[in-house]
Amino acid sequence: MNIEQIVFYFLSAVVLVSALLVVAMKNLVRSIFLFFLTLFSMAGLFVFALADFVAITQVVVYVGGVLVLMIFAFLLSNRDILNNPDAVKINGKFLTAHHLPGLVVSFLFFTALMFAFSQFQVDELEWIAASEGNTLSPSDNTIELLGINIMTRYLLPFETISVLLMLALIGAAHLARKERKI
Amino acid sequence: MPLLSFCGILLFTGRPDRGGAFSIFNIAVSFVSSLILFFSIWNQDPLHQQVDWFTIGNTTFRVGILLNNLSVMMMLLVSLIATLVHIYSTRYMKGDSYLFRYWAYLGLFCFSMFGLVIADNLLLIYMFWELVGFSSYLLIGFWFTRESAVRANKKAFIMNRLGDLGFLTGIMILFTQFQTLDITELFAPNGLVAQTILSGDYWTFGTQQMPAIWLTLAGLAFFFGATAKSAQFPLHTWLPDAMEGPTSVSSLIHAATMVAAGVFLLGRIYPLFDETVLFVIASIGAFTAFMAATIALTQNDIKRILAYSTISQLGFMMLAMGVGGFNSGLFHLVTHAFFKCLLFLAAGAVIHEMHHLKDHKGLDFDHQDIRNMGGLKKYMPITFITMTLASLALIGIPFTSGYLSKDAILIQAFDWAEGKGGLVRLIPYSALLTSWLTAFYISRLIFKVFFGELRVPGYNTAAVSLHEAPAAMKNVLVILALFCLFPFFSLDPLNYDSAWLMEGMKSSPRAEHTASIFHTLIPIVVNVIALLVISLAYFWYVRREKAPDFSGNPLYRFSEGQWFFDKLYFRTFVGGTTSLARSSFLFDKRIVDGLVNLLGKVGLVLSVISHWVDRYIVDGLVNGAGLLAKAIGNFSRNFQSGRLQYYLVWMLLVVLTFFMIKYFSLAI
Amino acid sequence: MIPLSHFMLVSAALFCIGLYAVLSKRNAIMVLIGIEFMLNAAILNFVAFSRHDKFAASGQVFALFAIVLAAAAVAVALAIILNVYKYYKTIDPTEIDQLGD
Repeated sequence: MNIEQIVFYFLSAVVLVSALLVVAMKNLVRSIFLFFLTLFSMAGLFVFALADFVAITQVVVYVGGVLVLMIFAFLLSNRDILNNPDAVKINGKFLTAHHLPGLVVSFLFFTALMFAFSQFQVDELEWIAASEGNTLSPSDNTIELLGINIMTRYLLPFETISVLLMLALIGAAHLARKERKI
Repeated sequence: MPLLSFCGILLFTGRPDRGGAFSIFNIAVSFVSSLILFFSIWNQDPLHQQVDWFTIGNTTFRVGILLNNLSVMMMLLVSLIATLVHIYSTRYMKGDSYLFRYWAYLGLFCFSMFGLVIADNLLLIYMFWELVGFSSYLLIGFWFTRESAVRANKKAFIMNRLGDLGFLTGIMILFTQFQTLDITELFAPNGLVAQTILSGDYWTFGTQQMPAIWLTLAGLAFFFGATAKSAQFPLHTWLPDAMEGPTSVSSLIHAATMVAAGVFLLGRIYPLFDETVLFVIASIGAFTAFMAATIALTQNDIKRILAYSTISQLGFMMLAMGVGGFNSGLFHLVTHAFFKCLLFLAAGAVIHEMHHLKDHKGLDFDHQDIRNMGGLKKYMPITFITMTLASLALIGIPFTSGYLSKDAILIQAFDWAEGKGGLVRLIPYSALLTSWLTAFYISRLIFKVFFGELRVPGYNTAAVSLHEAPAAMKNVLVILALFCLFPFFSLDPLNYDSAWLMEGMKSSPRAEHTASIFHTLIPIVVNVIALLVISLAYFWYVRREKAPDFSGNPLYRFSEGQWFFDKLYFRTFVGGTTSLARSSFLFDKRIVDGLVNLLGKVGLVLSVISHWVDRYIVDGLVNGAGLLAKAIGNFSRNFQSGRLQYYLVWMLLVVLTFFMIKYFSLAI
Repeated sequence: MIPLSHFMLVSAALFCIGLYAVLSKRNAIMVLIGIEFMLNAAILNFVAFSRHDKFAASGQVFALFAIVLAAAAVAVALAIILNVYKYYKTIDPTEIDQLGD
């Protein structure tokens, strides 16, 4: 058990526990802030998968962008809860009839996934076993590799994504604008 | 330039009054430039410039402009008429609160029309074709607050879409065969189409071979596209409804330019058509011409009469195309554009005045109904003279432009039918009959509107405040009326062969002339009988002598009901679609919901039954069964809850089930 | 070196938590958070497998794309939520069960 493993398991525990708390919490504000914690530790996990650039992007995009957006949406759509936080009615337990189907299905899904993992040994997959010289080592500069790849091999998806992003931008702006009287 | 005005006006929407001047300036500049182009291109070598557009596989699409006699003539026509209509609109549309939008749409229309005529690639033509259809949709629905206008533009749009489908099919067939859509490559005298060999049942081009039927199909598909745009049978019903738009728009788009686009398209791809297609074109043209003329006989709305007359004249053009009179068809297109535009604008002036009268006196009557008009000759002399001139051109009286082109068509139709027997002969005769009907309905219009006494109900005719249209409108009318006269087209008023337009178009294929007895006979017959018909109309409608009452006659009703095409379409298509929708709604409601409810009910009934049966045996068991049945009912009702998350749950459960079945079947 | 299967385990758990949130939460924002969890789980797998593909870096590139797309999706989804709120005065997906108006 070296330090790397300890940190990894610690981070994954944080991810899972905070994610569970996010979905179990009654209070939406707390949920959203715990969501922030989950995302942050996810970024940590990315680092352990030797993807530091993705981790930074995760922090910038999710924590900087998505989370702020969510808080905005929350502020705009739950004004009554904010005005008197005590009035939030805490009704029902964790295991209500409403939650039951979702709980059952997700648990079943988890079992199915576990079952699938147990059926095949991921570390012995052919292409992974053959990727001896193609494996990242912690000392590699992934950013350089990524940049070259994006600008050569993945140029078309890259451009498509940029167009799509613009579409989403326009679409969101259009959806959220105030109705102008004509 | 019109595109510039479209964009410009959209950008500077703040000044509605300035938009007009701006777009008139633009359209005038494009008129002047097309005039210059016309004189430099006409009867010279066609100008053709291209750039690479895009590449699919090994096929490079090249786009560019192609200016030959046909397209410069259309350009000149479009820009001239558009300029006049722009000027006319300054007064006609004055005071409308969304005027800037009007100018912008008009600019868009002109731009797409220019694009359509100069494009050299079928795909590009298709794009502009759509744009033209779209801008006409916008303009028909310009007064979108009116229910009927909205319906009319929807109808026009759908009908046009149907036709576009045909156009697209044609493009695809051609592309499969030739791997190119370039018009010059395809249709030049020694172009690809001319190189194909039609041997036996096969249509061969290089190594490509297709059953010969595809050639016919391609021709028919293009023709179908043209029928929609040019309002031919069976897709003609949108044009009369399109009269909901402003009159100036009707005159520009639905009389002079856009509807001619179909004829223009046929002219561009003329070499493609084989005998069968030409025959179909000719017969549909003749039939449409006849049908629309009979409908026009009984309509009472001034714009509707003109609309049906337009359809009828377009039928004439199609007929000309079909019988091989390529040049006379296009010649008629040009002359018709002028006099029909004039008719519409004059009608617009009349409507304008009647509308003023209505507003002024606070009366309530239909200001477009010719039964309410009459005696306007006194108040609007210039409108009267110009409109009469246009009507004479429409009838085809000598010394007008209509005479030249219409008789050319008739003569060619007779020449064509000469060589064939049987029913084919009906076509020229029906065209002849149609031209007399034309004489009748247009003289009916003129006599009813301008002669006699004003027939506004409940209104004292002595104190009429009608007057001539404003100067801007009047001048346009006069200019257009000049174009209805013969010297602009031919120095010899009686012989169409010497018309310079005919000369210019003669380079087109299959234009052959055989001097025959028809050349002298037909014009005489046509005009003598037309004059007779006019005088009959005069006696009926001006003198009121023994004007027979036809309103009980079934034929009359047939005609007044516009041959019941609208009703037929409504019943078959709209009704069909709605009933389909309704039946599927019922299916949903009755069967699906019913099933769920039935399940619940059956469960309840079951529980009741079991309660009854088992009451004396075990009480608890009975209750259990009843509850179970109820639960099943409720359970299956859940499928239709409309709640997204439940749907998701069920979906995932199904996925899981499949997953498990798959895995366990593998494991076993 | 962390074995791949551990990454997959974490991501499977996170995915199922997200699934639960999507399926049973009574607040559209929470549903959105659930979707984000699921997306993050997928991204984690992408990134983990990408270690064995150094030169093409396909997993990392697609993880980046997925993050960007998720951000776009969130923006649009939140705009929709706001509109729905304006219209129904609620963002509980169980109460919005009518397609038409």
